[in-house]
Amino acid sequence: MKMVPLEAYLILSLLLFGLGVFGMIVRRNLVAILMSTELALNAVNVAFVGADSHLGLVDGQVFALFIIALAAVEAAVGLGIIVAIFRLRKVESSDELTDMGG
Amino acid sequence: MEVLIILFPLIAFLLIGLFGRRLGDLPSAIITVLGSALSFIFSIPALLKALNSPFSVKLYDFISLGSYTLTLGLYFDPLSAITTSLVCFISTLIFIYSIGYMENFFGQWTYKFYAYLSFFLFSMLLIVLSDNLLGMFFGWEGVGLASYLLIGYFHQQKYATNSAFEAFVMNRIGDWLFLFGIFSIFYLFGSLNLLEIFSKVKEIDPNLLGLAVLLLFGGAVGKSGQVPLHTWLPNAMAGPTPVSALLHSSTMVAAGVYMVARLYPVFESAPQGLKVVALIGGFTALFASLAATSHTDIKKIIAFSTMSQLGLMFLALGIGDKSSAMFHLTTHAFFKALLFLSAGSIIHAFHHHVRDIYGVGGLKKHMPITYATFFVGALALAGIFPFAGFWSKDLIIASSYDSSFGLGVFVSFVSFLTAYYIFREGFVMFYGPERHKGHFEEEPHEAPSVMLVPMVVLAIGSAVAGFFEGWYMSALKDHKEIHLNIAISSVAIALLGIGLAYLVFVKRVLDPEKLYQSLKPVHTTFREQFFTERLYHKGLARGYMELSRGLFLVGDRFLIDGFINLLNFLYFRVVKFLWIKLDIYTVDLFVNGVARFSFRFGRKASLIQTGLLNNYVAFLLFGLVVLLGIIIYFMG
Repeated sequence: MKMVPLEAYLILSLLLFGLGVFGMIVRRNLVAILMSTELALNAVNVAFVGADSHLGLVDGQVFALFIIALAAVEAAVGLGIIVAIFRLRKVESSDELTDMGG
Repeated sequence: MEVLIILFPLIAFLLIGLFGRRLGDLPSAIITVLGSALSFIFSIPALLKALNSPFSVKLYDFISLGSYTLTLGLYFDPLSAITTSLVCFISTLIFIYSIGYMENFFGQWTYKFYAYLSFFLFSMLLIVLSDNLLGMFFGWEGVGLASYLLIGYFHQQKYATNSAFEAFVMNRIGDWLFLFGIFSIFYLFGSLNLLEIFSKVKEIDPNLLGLAVLLLFGGAVGKSGQVPLHTWLPNAMAGPTPVSALLHSSTMVAAGVYMVARLYPVFESAPQGLKVVALIGGFTALFASLAATSHTDIKKIIAFSTMSQLGLMFLALGIGDKSSAMFHLTTHAFFKALLFLSAGSIIHAFHHHVRDIYGVGGLKKHMPITYATFFVGALALAGIFPFAGFWSKDLIIASSYDSSFGLGVFVSFVSFLTAYYIFREGFVMFYGPERHKGHFEEEPHEAPSVMLVPMVVLAIGSAVAGFFEGWYMSALKDHKEIHLNIAISSVAIALLGIGLAYLVFVKRVLDPEKLYQSLKPVHTTFREQFFTERLYHKGLARGYMELSRGLFLVGDRFLIDGFINLLNFLYFRVVKFLWIKLDIYTVDLFVNGVARFSFRFGRKASLIQTGLLNNYVAFLLFGLVVLLGIIIYFMG
């Protein structure tokens, strides 16, 4: 079986991470920002797992599992916060949440 | 035991000085009287012991100067012991009298007066009893201080404070000379102890000794109010009358005469010095009696009389008759205290509002006891047989005739003047019209008995003290005989003076007013003490004041103040310049600049903090890229 080269994983990972970060910067919808975060986290997962299969190790896979768990928690907490904000303020856009500004 | 004599007044002074305010004025007065009375009582056994053989009482070692140790102690010989008893006796009577005299002032912190009196007595006893010159000097200064405080006791009156000041300054001149006299004695003898000085006196060069003697005599001149340091003495009358009596009878002014008598072996070895003593004494005697003949102040006449009598004592000392001088000092203490107390009784009768003899008159019927005591004193002063003054003055007159006929005539003339002026005062005050009518509402009254008793005791003393002449002379190991012709002639001269005063002021054979008008220049000259007081006050004192003021204006106001003001001005200018240039233009600019920059920068920088989540993520990314870039750049 022909091995998928490491570069392919890393390029995919980079693209996904870039998409995620880009989404975080440009999207104003809070849920979309959360989703972009998930995307960036999973891009990292791809990089970890791809590197593992290339090197024949398991450390990256363990790390990826941790990140998946962390992402789940983050999604839960993040969504909770977003729902709470929406309930309190009736907003869903980050444009209107600039109270921390100087 | 003998130390107690000198300690009682000191204890009284300390008691009253420290607790007088709590004790009250009358108890303070009683403590004062008790102090002096106890001193008198204790001085009697000391006197009897000293008459047998002189003895010293060592108090303590004061200073060790290399090989020489200065020991303070008391020395009792007939001279000092008799004087001690006399001083204590007269002082006790005067202190008792002062209770009556100062009664109106009770409640006005009069305890101070009694504290000063006790201190006065203590200082005088220190002079009399001290066995060395330094102890004598301590007493000398103490007497000066006490007299200053007492003369200026009525310190609400400008006149009294000025008089006190004058007395102090005049005494200071004398004390200064006295101190230098002590220095020179120490230089010559190497000791200050009287007995050591007396034992070595023959070995010293008389010329050097003469200088020392003159310096010492300068102290006596200041203390005893002799010319030219005399003006304080009449002005000292500003003090309360008991003070005048104390000052003039037994304490202050007697100190000068006593000191010369005490150091008589030293004076004797310097005949040139003795001549000066006689000269000054004789001159003062005449000078003061002339001033007394024309003065009209009740107490000042008696003060001039004191000056004159002290002058006679110095004259007697100067011509080598120490025992007569000291005997005259003793009898003089009695009748001079008596005269002052009688005068005080009159002043007291008019509630301290009368000073001039022409302010009163015809007091004979109002104040019979005062009249009697005053005339006993006056007769004693004039030297009429058998009163005290007769005996002592007669000795001085006899010695003067022994010395030279001219001197005798001179002293007789002074006694003539003495008899005249004291009876003039007496006749004006006790006879004639009642000049005080109209000025005083109530009739003059006799003094209370607390004042009369001391007066009567002193009157008895003045009458009989002369009979102790023989005893006194034997105590001083001297022998005198009454020269009958001199005695008769001096009594006759005194009677002449009294008669003249009687004719002029009682019988008015000559009208005193007309006499006064025709002799006005002479009268004024005498009255003004030959203008010496004016010379001192207007010439020396004011000249000194003007000089000081001139120096003050030129030196202080112009030079020093000008310099200070210039410095001040320059400093102010420099500071102002630095303030503007450095502080405002440099430091403030910098500080304000920093503040303004921080403020503006902060305001701008805070704009980055948008609060927008997306921007934060972008910054995060930017930061990450920069960090990674740096790491790669430097690691790679």
